[in-house]
Amino acid sequence: MRKPSTRPKAPSLISNYRLHPGVPDEMIDPAGNIRPGWSTLMAAFDQLGPAELGARFERADQYLRDAGVFYRAYDGAAGKARDWPLAHIPLLIDESEWSIISHGLTQRAELLEAIIADIYGENTLVARGVLPPELIARNTEFLRPLVGIRPRSGHFLHFCAFELGRGPDGAWWVLGDRTQAPSGAGFALENRVATTRALADIYGDMNIHRLAGFFRAFRDALFAQAGPEGGRVGILTPGQLNETYFEHAYIARYLGLVLLEGEDMLVVDGQVMVRTVAGLQPVSVLWRRLDASFADPLELRYDSRIGTPGMVDALRHGSISMINALGTGLLETRALAAFMPRLCRAVFDAPLELPEIATWWCGQPAEQAHVLANFDKMMIGPAFATNLPVDDPSGTALGSTISGEQRETLIQRIMRDGATYVGQEPVQLSTTPVYLDGQLQPRPVTLRVYAARTEKGWSIMPGGLARIGSTSDTTAMAMQRGGRAADVWVVSSNPVERVSLLPREGEKLLRSPHGNLPSRAADNLIWLGRYTERCEATLRILRAYNARLAELSKADLPILRHCREFLDTIDVDATEPMPLGLLASIDSAVHSASQIRDRFSPDGWLALTDLQNTARRLSEKVTPGSDATRLMTILLRKLAGFSGLVHENMYRFAGWRFLELGRRLERGMQMARITAWLTAREAPDGSLELLLEIGDSVMSHRRRYSVTAGTQSAIDLLVLDPLNPRSVLFQLATLREQIETLPGGIEDGQLSPAARATLSLQTELVIAEPADLTPERLQRLAGDLGALSGLVAAAYFV
Amino acid sequence: MLYDIRLTLQYDYDAPVHGGRHLIRVAPATLPGVQRLVASSLTIDPPPEQHTTFADFFGNAVTAIGLMAPHDHLEVGLSARVQVDDPIPPVDLTPSRSELHAEIERVWSLAPDSPHHFLWPSPRLAAVPAIADYARAVTPQAGSVLDIAQALCLAIHRDFTYEAGATDVETTPAEAFSMRRGVCQDFAQVMIAGLRGLGIPAGYVSGFLRTTPPPGKPRLEGADAMHAWVRVWCGQSLGWVAFDPTNAILAGADHITIGYGRDYADVSPIVGMLKTHGSHEAAQSVDVLLAQ
Repeated sequence: MRKPSTRPKAPSLISNYRLHPGVPDEMIDPAGNIRPGWSTLMAAFDQLGPAELGARFERADQYLRDAGVFYRAYDGAAGKARDWPLAHIPLLIDESEWSIISHGLTQRAELLEAIIADIYGENTLVARGVLPPELIARNTEFLRPLVGIRPRSGHFLHFCAFELGRGPDGAWWVLGDRTQAPSGAGFALENRVATTRALADIYGDMNIHRLAGFFRAFRDALFAQAGPEGGRVGILTPGQLNETYFEHAYIARYLGLVLLEGEDMLVVDGQVMVRTVAGLQPVSVLWRRLDASFADPLELRYDSRIGTPGMVDALRHGSISMINALGTGLLETRALAAFMPRLCRAVFDAPLELPEIATWWCGQPAEQAHVLANFDKMMIGPAFATNLPVDDPSGTALGSTISGEQRETLIQRIMRDGATYVGQEPVQLSTTPVYLDGQLQPRPVTLRVYAARTEKGWSIMPGGLARIGSTSDTTAMAMQRGGRAADVWVVSSNPVERVSLLPREGEKLLRSPHGNLPSRAADNLIWLGRYTERCEATLRILRAYNARLAELSKADLPILRHCREFLDTIDVDATEPMPLGLLASIDSAVHSASQIRDRFSPDGWLALTDLQNTARRLSEKVTPGSDATRLMTILLRKLAGFSGLVHENMYRFAGWRFLELGRRLERGMQMARITAWLTAREAPDGSLELLLEIGDSVMSHRRRYSVTAGTQSAIDLLVLDPLNPRSVLFQLATLREQIETLPGGIEDGQLSPAARATLSLQTELVIAEPADLTPERLQRLAGDLGALSGLVAAAYFV
Repeated sequence: MLYDIRLTLQYDYDAPVHGGRHLIRVAPATLPGVQRLVASSLTIDPPPEQHTTFADFFGNAVTAIGLMAPHDHLEVGLSARVQVDDPIPPVDLTPSRSELHAEIERVWSLAPDSPHHFLWPSPRLAAVPAIADYARAVTPQAGSVLDIAQALCLAIHRDFTYEAGATDVETTPAEAFSMRRGVCQDFAQVMIAGLRGLGIPAGYVSGFLRTTPPPGKPRLEGADAMHAWVRVWCGQSLGWVAFDPTNAILAGADHITIGYGRDYADVSPIVGMLKTHGSHEAAQSVDVLLAQ
C-alpha cells in the first residue's frame, strides 16, 4: 500500500496532454477515454507528484549508468559508446490487444520459416511463379553455399523480431521483419529492470506480464538443442566494436551462455570447437549476432576477418545448430514485403493476420508504373535493403520531398533498373506519452516484438522495445532522427505468473562445466590483471615522487632525477603531472575489460570506468607536487576499489585465476625492477626510503628491522619475505599455486613447463640471501617472470 | 581427345603456419556430351589431418582440407585423364538482346545453371560502367546474342595485351580494363563484366588448355598455367556457349573444364585461411598432353 499523499494536489498530468488530431494515441482511445491500465498508471503518477516522479525517473537513469548499459552509434565520432536513452513512461498495451499481435506474429513467423526453407530447399515458390527469381539471385543475402543444407534442428528460424506500428485505422501493421540477428531483446530486459526500479510499487500493484518466462523457455530450447551430452551453447558476437556488443555480453551473462567470437573457434572434422584453457571443446549451438556472410571467410565473404574458416562445412556436417540459420537475412529484403500477402496465400491458403505496409516492387512493369504515377504519395527506397525504412536516413525518402534534378535522376533510374527500387505507402504512427519538462507530450512510437521458437512452438515475448521519436512528427520517416526507447507493459486484468530464471523447486540445477573459458577471454583477463597492477605500481611511484617534489620543491635533486629516470624506462614522463603513460595503462586495462564484459559484475566495470573518467577529467587541471600527490592517492583508492571487488566477489573460476596470474606476474616484475633500480650502487640518498614507500612496507620494515633502512633489510622485506604480500617471493608462491591448479598444471604427477619454471624460480628465492640479490640478478629475475608469462601464453592461448 | 593432365601448386611459407584450411577446385568435371573424367588423383603434402569432399552450389567438386600441425610448405598435385569430345559448332538461332531479356524472364528457376545468377555483380566482379560502355561500342547494336559475344571476344583480344605478371589475382576487372592488359583471368572477367553490362548472362569457367598445339597450329596463350574463359547464356534453345577471349576462339576440344562460377571467387583453384604472420611464395606448373 502506498501512503496517501499529503502534498497539495497538483493538476492531473493528463489534463495537459494534447493529442495530434487524427492520429491514434496509445493512452487515449479514439472516443477520448483513457485506455485500461493507463488510468491506473496516471493516477499513480498524479499521486507521486512532479518532484517525486522526477526523482524516480532519475533513479532509472542512474541504474542504467551504473549497469554500464550502452550502445554504439556509427554516425559521427567513430563508433562512440552512448548512454542508453530511456523514455521513462512504459508503453502499455492491453492483454486482449496483445493476443491479436501475438497470434498474428506466430502466423508470420511460421510463414517466414516456410519461405526460407523453400528458398534454400525445393524452390517451389520460384517454380510456381510466386517469387521472382531476380529477387533472390540478385540478393547479396542469398548465400549460395547454404543451398541444400538442412539445418540440424530442422528449422531455419528460432528467434525473430518484428517492427510494428499502429496505423490511422487503429490496427497494428508490420513495418519489417528482423531475421538475420535481431537485436534489442537484451535492451528490452534492461528497460524493464530500469523502469521497475523507478516504478516498483506501481508495477507490483498492476498485473503486468513478466519477461523472464519467455527467456527461460528460449534458453531451455537452446540447451535442449545441444542435447544431454552436447557441446557448448554460445553467443556468436562480432566483437566489442559492434553497436550492440553490450547486449551480447548481457544476454550471455543472463542466460548462462559462452560469449564467442569467430576466432575463438576452429572446425575439426566437421565439428566446431572452441579454444579454451582446457583445450578444444565442442560447440553445439550458436546464437548468432554476426551477419551471416561474415561467418566463414572460406565459403562466404572472403574478406571477413571475424569469421571461422570451415563454419559452413560444419553446418553441412550437421554438427552445429545456428540460431538463426545462415542465409535467413534474405527475409529482411524490403522488396519481399510486396510479396508477403501472396506468399501467405500460396503457403497457408489464408490471408495475413496482421497487415503489412503496402509495398510495390518496381521490378515488375505494372508496379513500376504505379509507383511512378503516385510518386509523391510514396516512400521510395532501395529494394534490396535489409534495414527498416525508419533506420535508413540516407537511402529512403518521401517522393514528395524529392525535387528538381534529384527527382529526375531517381525517376530515370527507376525506369532503367526498377528492380532495385520499391515504393511503399508512407506510414503514419500512433503517439504515446513521454514525460518532458514536467509535462506529458505525445510522440510517435514503433513497437519491436520478439518471437522465440521453444519446445512448444513459437513464443511471443509479452513486452518488447518501444522506440519513441524525438519530434512530434508522426510519419514513420521522422523516426530516422533518433529518439528514445521505452519498456512495454502488457496489462492483464488477472494476476500474472511471476517467473525468474532461477531453477524451480525440484528442478535439476544446471551447472556449466569448468574449463569453459575461451582462450581469448583468458588472455584478456591476464592483461587486465597486468594493466591494473601496472597502473598501481606507476601510481605508487608517481605519488612518492610528487610528495618529495612538494617537500623539497627542487626538481633537480639526485633522488628525484633517479626516480624520473626509472619512470622513463616504463614510458612514464614524471614531468607531466598526469603522465600519458599512466593514462595509456588505464585505457589498456579498460580496453581488456571491455572485451570480456560478460565475465564481470557491473560493479567491477563501473569501478574501472570511474577510475578512467576521474583520471581523464583531472588530467587537465592537476599541477605537479602536492596536488598530483592528492590525485594519485584518489586514483589508488579507486583502483583498490576495483581490486577489492574482484577479490571479494569474483567466482574462483579459471577466469579469476588468469586475472590473478596477470596481477602477480606484473607485481613481481615491477617489484624486482624497482628494487634493482633503487638498490643500485649509484642510487642516491633516500632511495631505500623511497623503495619502502613504493612497496607499501614502511611500517613493516620499522617493526621487523629498524627505523633506518639498509639495502639488506629492504631486499629481505621486498623480495624474500614470504609473508609480505608485496614481495617477489610472495608473488611466486601465489603464482605457483594458481598455475598448478590450471587445467594441465599437473598431470599424472608431471609439472607443465610453466609450473616447472615457477617452482624453479620460487626455489631459487627461498634459498637466496639478501646479499645474493644484486641489481643484475634482480633484473634477471624480472626477465624470468616475463618469460614465465610467455610460457603461460604458449600453453593456453595458442 | 584423350588428355593426361598434371598440375602442381606449390606454396612456401616464410614463417611456419599453425593450422590452415583450404578449399581446392582443380579436378576436371564430367559434363555429359562435352567431357568425361576418366580418372584423377589428388596428392597433398604435408598430408592433411582433415580431408572431405563436397559439391558446391554450381556443382563443382571441392576438396576441403585442414592442416593442424605446423608446416612450412604446401604442395597440391593433381594427375587426371580426361576424354574431351569435339564440340558441335553452334548454329546461330540466338535471340537479339531484347528478345533475350524476355526469355530470361520466362526462366522461373534458381537451378545452378539458371541465367539469373549470372546477370548481376558478384563477389569479385562489381559493375563497371566503363566496361559496359566499351562493350556497347565494340558490339553490333542489332546483332544476335551470339554475334555480340563473338564481337566482344574478338575486340578484347584485339585491344588487350596478354602479359604475365602485369596483374595478380587481386587485380579488379576495372584495373585490368584501364591498363588494357593482363592474363586469362583478367580477359575473362572483363568480358563477363561487359556482357552483364549489356544484360547478357555470363559466367566464369576455370580449366586447363592443351599444352602443345596440334601439328601446324600455333601454341595457345596461357597453356603453361591454369586457364580461364567465359560462358555466355544465349537463350533457351542454345543455352550456354563458351568463349575464350585470351585466344579469340570458341572454347573447344583444347579446353578442359574444371568448373563454373559467377567470377574467380566462386571457382578459384585454391583458397585458404592460414594462421601465420609471414608471407609466402607460390609456384604453379601445368602439363596437358595427349594421352599415348
